[in-house]
Amino acid sequence: MENILTLEKLNKFYDEDTHAINDVDLEVKEGDFLILLGLSGSGKSTLLRCINRLIEPTSGKIYFEGTNVCDLGGTPLRHARREIGMIFQQFNLIKNLTVLTNALSGRLGYFSTIKSLFPRLDNELVAQAKKNLKRVGLEEFANQKVKNLSGGQQQRVAIARVLMQNPKLILADEPVASLDPATADSVMRYLGNLNKNDNITIICSLHFLSLARKYGTRVVALKGGKLMFDGEPTEIDEQKFKDIYGQDAEEVDIK
Amino acid sequence: MKKQYNTLSLIKAFIIDLLIWLYLVGTGFYLLEQLNVVEYKFSYFLITSVVLGIITFVTQNSLGHKGFRSKKIKKRRWYKTLWGWEIFILIAITFVVGWDIVEVNPIKLIAKFKNSKVIISQLFNPNFDNLLKMLSALSETIYLALLATVFAIPLAFIFSFFAARNLMPKNLLGNTVYIIVRTVATIVRSIEALVWAIIFCVWVGIGPFAGMLALLFHSMAALTKLYSEQIENIDSGPIEAMKSTGANTLQVWIYAVIPQIISPYLAFTMYRWDINVRMATIVGFVGGGGIGLALKQEQQLLHWRNVGLIMWLIALVVWIMDMVSGKVREKLVKH
Repeated sequence: MENILTLEKLNKFYDEDTHAINDVDLEVKEGDFLILLGLSGSGKSTLLRCINRLIEPTSGKIYFEGTNVCDLGGTPLRHARREIGMIFQQFNLIKNLTVLTNALSGRLGYFSTIKSLFPRLDNELVAQAKKNLKRVGLEEFANQKVKNLSGGQQQRVAIARVLMQNPKLILADEPVASLDPATADSVMRYLGNLNKNDNITIICSLHFLSLARKYGTRVVALKGGKLMFDGEPTEIDEQKFKDIYGQDAEEVDIK
Repeated sequence: MKKQYNTLSLIKAFIIDLLIWLYLVGTGFYLLEQLNVVEYKFSYFLITSVVLGIITFVTQNSLGHKGFRSKKIKKRRWYKTLWGWEIFILIAITFVVGWDIVEVNPIKLIAKFKNSKVIISQLFNPNFDNLLKMLSALSETIYLALLATVFAIPLAFIFSFFAARNLMPKNLLGNTVYIIVRTVATIVRSIEALVWAIIFCVWVGIGPFAGMLALLFHSMAALTKLYSEQIENIDSGPIEAMKSTGANTLQVWIYAVIPQIISPYLAFTMYRWDINVRMATIVGFVGGGGIGLALKQEQQLLHWRNVGLIMWLIALVVWIMDMVSGKVREKLVKH
């Protein structure tokens, strides 16, 4: 299968002493469900945000579907971002607006500025948003304000929003870290579903090995900004786990 | 790198020490001269300050060191340190000199009360014959304040985006725009509405329009500051999310910024209207129309019972505005 994403010698310095990403090379195949492991501060979030250039990498190349994203700017960059969805630990929804409007906001990259003021006038689009909300089981919440929803529901709204982009790649930055275990599993199930049925490539940072084994097709681990493991989820044994998370770490089984 | 920082902090510490002693010796000379002890000479003043500044600086325990090189100073109780005593003398001498300059005289305050007894008794006995006339002047003031606020909103709204650190890109253009908008807003705001009113009275002539323009200018600058601070406090998460969908800057503002700021903006605006009603009175005093102008006229004619009526009417309106805007703000902030 083809590589959808290739990172070459990616580096990110926040300042002279903070080397957040250190010479990372990575190839992601189309259809992968890549799990990104590593301690907090190991560079997972920075790596994910470099891919869609929410954070500017210091040096290196990022090929997304054959184009180096680092060379892009302005409209071409925004067009590349349309195809790369992102899901966040804190959901990052607009809490004062309705679930439907939040879902529609995923489509902003395709709108003119004028049209983005009145997205609801486009019936076809509203129908699509409702279809996506139905897919994550939230159709009856369409007209509720997001702040009245639970954490798990909010993350599902975020998934519906990402779906509006028709993404080829989804970057998920600890999508279940602020959820309880049962809800976490259900959110991961939705992501797994997108990966299998819609053939969307997913890169997801996680802390739970059990979830990594259940949904991941491949695991990559970062330590101090360096890539230190790349393999199958089943390859991670106790020793590998301790290498990634430090000698004191114990695997916590959440089921 | 480290060494440069040390030299710089030493220079800063020395400047602080020097400034402190210039002030202390200057105020010291002022007091001694008031007591006819010494005759002030600029050269004495300068030499004494510089010498004392250098002496304290060399001890490495001065206020300048405390401010910029605090890691090098041992922790001790303030009265066991030089910088502690410097602060103590600074406060003490400032209070003494202030008392002298302001000509504070508590005896006068109590003994001469009878001078104003007549006026105060008339203020508490307002003349209701002019009620209708004063009410119309009062409504002029309220409308004036309202229009000034309403016109200030859209202008401040637009400017606030350019005065918000987190929205302006960190490049030369972004920084320049940010600094220019911020500086102009600060300057306009620091010039009192009273001064703006004097300017506009000359520009468009005495009357409520000049008062409105004065309040408009001042409110616009004040709201720009309040609004932009609100923007700087928003949750940056939605901004990231909207950027990641490929939205352009304007779309990010419409979706991720505006929904987060709309209710605090309304609360601030309500508060501003409240302030404007109070300021409109003062602005009226210098020709900006409304109840302030009436207040000035009655005061100059020494019609104290009319002044009393105006005073009570203003108090009533301010009290009502305060209550209403407080309630509205409470509702807005909660939801």
